[in-house]
Amino acid sequence: MTPNPSSRAAEPNADQQRAARREVFQYAVRRFGVYLFTLWAAITVAFFIFRLVPGDPMNILLGNLTRAEGRQRDAAEQEVIIARYRQIFGVDDPLPLQYLNYLRKAFLGGLDLGPSFVEYPAPTRDLVFRRMPWTIGIFTTSVLLAWFIGTGLGALIGWLQRSQLSKLAVVISTLLQITPVYLVALGLIIYVGYTWRILPAGGPYARHLQPEWTWEFISSLLTHAILPMLSNIIVIGAGFTLGMRALMISVLGEDYLTFARAKGLSPFTVLKDYAFRNALIPQVTALAIIVGATLNGTFIIEVLFQLPGLGTLFVQAMGLRDFNTMQAVVLFSIFAVLTLTLIVDLALPLLDPRIRRLA
Amino acid sequence: MRNPSIIIGLIMLTLMVLVALAGPAFVSQTLFPGERPGMRGSYRPYQLDSVEHPIGTDGDGRDGLMVFVSSIWPSLQIGLIAGATSTGLGVVIGFLAGYARGRLDTLARILIDMVLVIPTLPLLLMLAAYIERWDLYKLSLILGIFGWSFVARVIRPQVQSLRERSYVDLAVLSGENPLEIIFLELLPPLLPYIGYVFSLSIVGSMLAEAGLQIIGLGAGGLPTLGFMIAKGFRESVIAIGLLGQMLLPAGALIYVFLALNLINTGLDEVFNPRLKTTIEGGD
Repeated sequence: MTPNPSSRAAEPNADQQRAARREVFQYAVRRFGVYLFTLWAAITVAFFIFRLVPGDPMNILLGNLTRAEGRQRDAAEQEVIIARYRQIFGVDDPLPLQYLNYLRKAFLGGLDLGPSFVEYPAPTRDLVFRRMPWTIGIFTTSVLLAWFIGTGLGALIGWLQRSQLSKLAVVISTLLQITPVYLVALGLIIYVGYTWRILPAGGPYARHLQPEWTWEFISSLLTHAILPMLSNIIVIGAGFTLGMRALMISVLGEDYLTFARAKGLSPFTVLKDYAFRNALIPQVTALAIIVGATLNGTFIIEVLFQLPGLGTLFVQAMGLRDFNTMQAVVLFSIFAVLTLTLIVDLALPLLDPRIRRLA
Repeated sequence: MRNPSIIIGLIMLTLMVLVALAGPAFVSQTLFPGERPGMRGSYRPYQLDSVEHPIGTDGDGRDGLMVFVSSIWPSLQIGLIAGATSTGLGVVIGFLAGYARGRLDTLARILIDMVLVIPTLPLLLMLAAYIERWDLYKLSLILGIFGWSFVARVIRPQVQSLRERSYVDLAVLSGENPLEIIFLELLPPLLPYIGYVFSLSIVGSMLAEAGLQIIGLGAGGLPTLGFMIAKGFRESVIAIGLLGQMLLPAGALIYVFLALNLINTGLDEVFNPRLKTTIEGGD
């Protein structure tokens, strides 16, 4: 971890550069291999969990249908319906065959995950693609904003660790960090949205508007997005602030920082080039760790704010016991979490000046 | 273990447990002698705060305070049972993976990483769809089963690093068998860390349970704090003016999380003394 600022002057020779480049390349290839394997394995586990849970989805489906129509069907009619559903799901085949069919359709058949029941006969794939931008939009924007705000604030209060103000900031961040994201969301909906009526707190945009490229629509979209994002930003941002503060403080205790100060460098240079830089790398790793939990939180936020994202889709699908759609959302989540983690891991060497200088 | 964080956290938690256990009987006997404040239809619904009903009555005509105090214990129970389940499973798997070497370890690591990335919320919802009648134990066990991978993930490297210490080599040379090594040499120094993970697991389970309730997919009929919050939100009790019926359960959840967080910080410092000195910058 300890960098050696004086070695910057010494240019590494060509051989060293090549070796380092090869090392980075090998790391990337190995990491990608692990990614593909984990992706396959996670999809497999999810598939079998879906099939092995007790209870027959067909009976639940039939029960739902009966309730929806408000009349009891006779036995023959029930048989026909069940047979039809079983055919759509392909659940009559033995499990290994179902699994192979599933993989074949999903990967070779252009992500064909079967028809949905939520909007029968629209394919599950189309539903997921239509809902995805909402989830990804809220998720990425709020995580990135939270990261930048948290990293900046954390660095600052770590640097000024002895001031009263930063002690207060630590207490506030701790309280915000332990608050569940949905409670923050509920608080924002109730107070900011309904009691004080400052910002809209339900739906993706104003009810009377149609999606189009007009200023009115876009501004409505943006104001509706503020509170859902804010819920995420407050909680995750507080976590990043505390994390960055701890990293800063441990970096500040290192000898090379004392040396940098003793050399007479300005406090700002020491903060920017010595302390911040070195605390940043683990802080980026922290980004990869929160991805999964934050995606879960975003699903809940969507439901609370009535946004047409994947979380809401999942809840709708669950009401109808639409297993194809539920499975597609789970697959998407697995894919998203793994891919985002991969991106962070691959970006890490680029951030580390010791690797970047050579590569 | 004279760590102030742990002591404050434990005191806070003990107070909450006392309220949870003694609260229902206390409230019904002192405030409502001879009545049944927790019964549906005992009172007129949605009464505002008064001396008689400190936080009003809920939509089912029950006393709000009574509902609140009787919701705490089920919430804590879910946290404890689920936390113990996931910590237990995770510690066993983490120890096996950390103690084994070579292929078995690689295999265990891949399995842990795999389960870790499977998003638990959708799967929990799936299971919720299948289970017709929820009870507290079923829910807790399921929450616990989904939490083990995190525990195993963090325990494994700790076991691995301990295994390489020279005192463990000494134990091996003096003829201790693997079980003795695990229970006598590896487990004791890891206990504060396991406590830390246990406390994190409790938070995770309570968080998940309340989250499920709030999006309307929780175990209906289980009187937990999450259920009270969700019910309050659906019945817009804040708009009616019954602030306490949402703020009290929300506050209680945050209070428990704060207490566990303090215990965590303390246990982390006990396990990792260097943390304290560096964080406090050599004060």
